[in-house]
Amino acid sequence: MSILRQGSTLIASVHTALDDSELERFRTDLVAQIGEHRSRGVIIDVAALDVIDSFAALTLRTIAEMARLRGARTVIVGIQPEVAFTMVRLGMGTGSIPTALDLEEGLALLTGGVDDGRRRP
Amino acid sequence: MTRPQSADGADATASAGPLQEADDLTELQAIVRRVVGARVGTHPAAEDLVQETLTRVLAAAPSVDPGLLEPYAIVTAKNLVASMWRDDARKRRNQHRAADLRVPESPEAQALLGEERSAMASALGRLDEHERALLIEHELRGTDTRTIAEEEGTTPGAVAARLSRSRARLRVEYVLGLESGDPPTDRCRPVLLALSAADRRRQRELDAATHLFSCDFCGRLSEPLLARGQRQDGVLRIPVAADPDIVKARGSARELAGRLGFSRTDLTVLATAVSELCRNIVRFAGSGELLVELLDEPRPGVRVTARDRGPGIADLEAAMRDGVSTYGGLGLGLPGVRRLMDEFAISSEQGAGTTVTITIWGKDPST
Ligand SMILES: [Zn+2]
Repeated sequence: MSILRQGSTLIASVHTALDDSELERFRTDLVAQIGEHRSRGVIIDVAALDVIDSFAALTLRTIAEMARLRGARTVIVGIQPEVAFTMVRLGMGTGSIPTALDLEEGLALLTGGVDDGRRRP
Repeated sequence: MTRPQSADGADATASAGPLQEADDLTELQAIVRRVVGARVGTHPAAEDLVQETLTRVLAAAPSVDPGLLEPYAIVTAKNLVASMWRDDARKRRNQHRAADLRVPESPEAQALLGEERSAMASALGRLDEHERALLIEHELRGTDTRTIAEEEGTTPGAVAARLSRSRARLRVEYVLGLESGDPPTDRCRPVLLALSAADRRRQRELDAATHLFSCDFCGRLSEPLLARGQRQDGVLRIPVAADPDIVKARGSARELAGRLGFSRTDLTVLATAVSELCRNIVRFAGSGELLVELLDEPRPGVRVTARDRGPGIADLEAAMRDGVSTYGGLGLGLPGVRRLMDEFAISSEQGAGTTVTITIWGKDPST
């Protein structure tokens, strides 16, 4: 996995299947960086994952929730169609986390949202 | 290495029939043993290699010129040794990850020729006369199936089918002969036979998977039988004891099912279900096992049996209930797995463990 910073947005990419302890480390690292960089947006690219089971889905939701508490919005991009289908049947959607087709779309979604958030009185 | 003086004498005076015929096979074994011994010495797997070679030679005998059986045996032994060293090196590299991959220490690693010979003799002795005569005629005398069929007034296909059943039985009896003590249950022998014959329908009839999990004896003996035909033939046993095993198991299941031409969606659904079951094993039982089987009737399918000897599930009904509150990583994810699969069965006994069996059938790709 890799975590890149682009302005106030963090882009985290998962490159290969992760086991549970690796997912936990991913969550810890990412949440730490969100705090460190005071990020306003997080994109998690999961295009490389061929399975998102209940634990992986829960991890993604936890990251999004922790990011939200630190003032950052999360978008998940690149969920493969058959993975999305399986998640739904398993009963583990992405919850309230917005999803986007790819990185570009994710950034667009986030920029709009982040800009909104920054417009303070 | 010492060899009891009495061994040869005792054998020579024992019942003449099967022993006489066993001599031909024993001769082949002696050659194989020399080839293996020269390369691996006293390696604990030496015995397995000899046995494996012999079985492969027997299995390949129909397509090998009888005059070439010996060279064929030697080449097979050499190849097996070479692949074992490769596997061994791989296993050593992986040893920190999975102790289960190690070659089991065999107390009979240096089995005496006499023992081997009597195991083969008793194996042949346990076949009925027809099977024995057929094997000897075909494997050792080199008579082809067509000639045998003509003599018996049947078809070459029928002879070939009988030959393969007889070989399967010989393998089982041979493995049983090397084991001290009888099988613990009446079911053991038929199960081993169904595995040896790679007869999936019979395996299902006998519920071989469940038996393998509960019977240590068959679990141990089936290993060499499975390693031969079955593993390539669509059965996979995967030990599950830690986080990385979950990823590995679902990858293996996906790969095996990929051979059936399953759609990407079906493969993903299967891999996800396997992932959930493996996690339950790791989290709640510590360790367990997964058996992945390819099914071909009534249409291509995959059956996965996940079994552990953990604490069991106290309230099955509750575990199968869909509850938002059980999310949070604490739930067993079983309702979701049931939704994903075409068939789902679970049994659990407190203090004894849990077995979950799931099946997914291939969908018609045109729909
Ligand atoms: Zn048994």
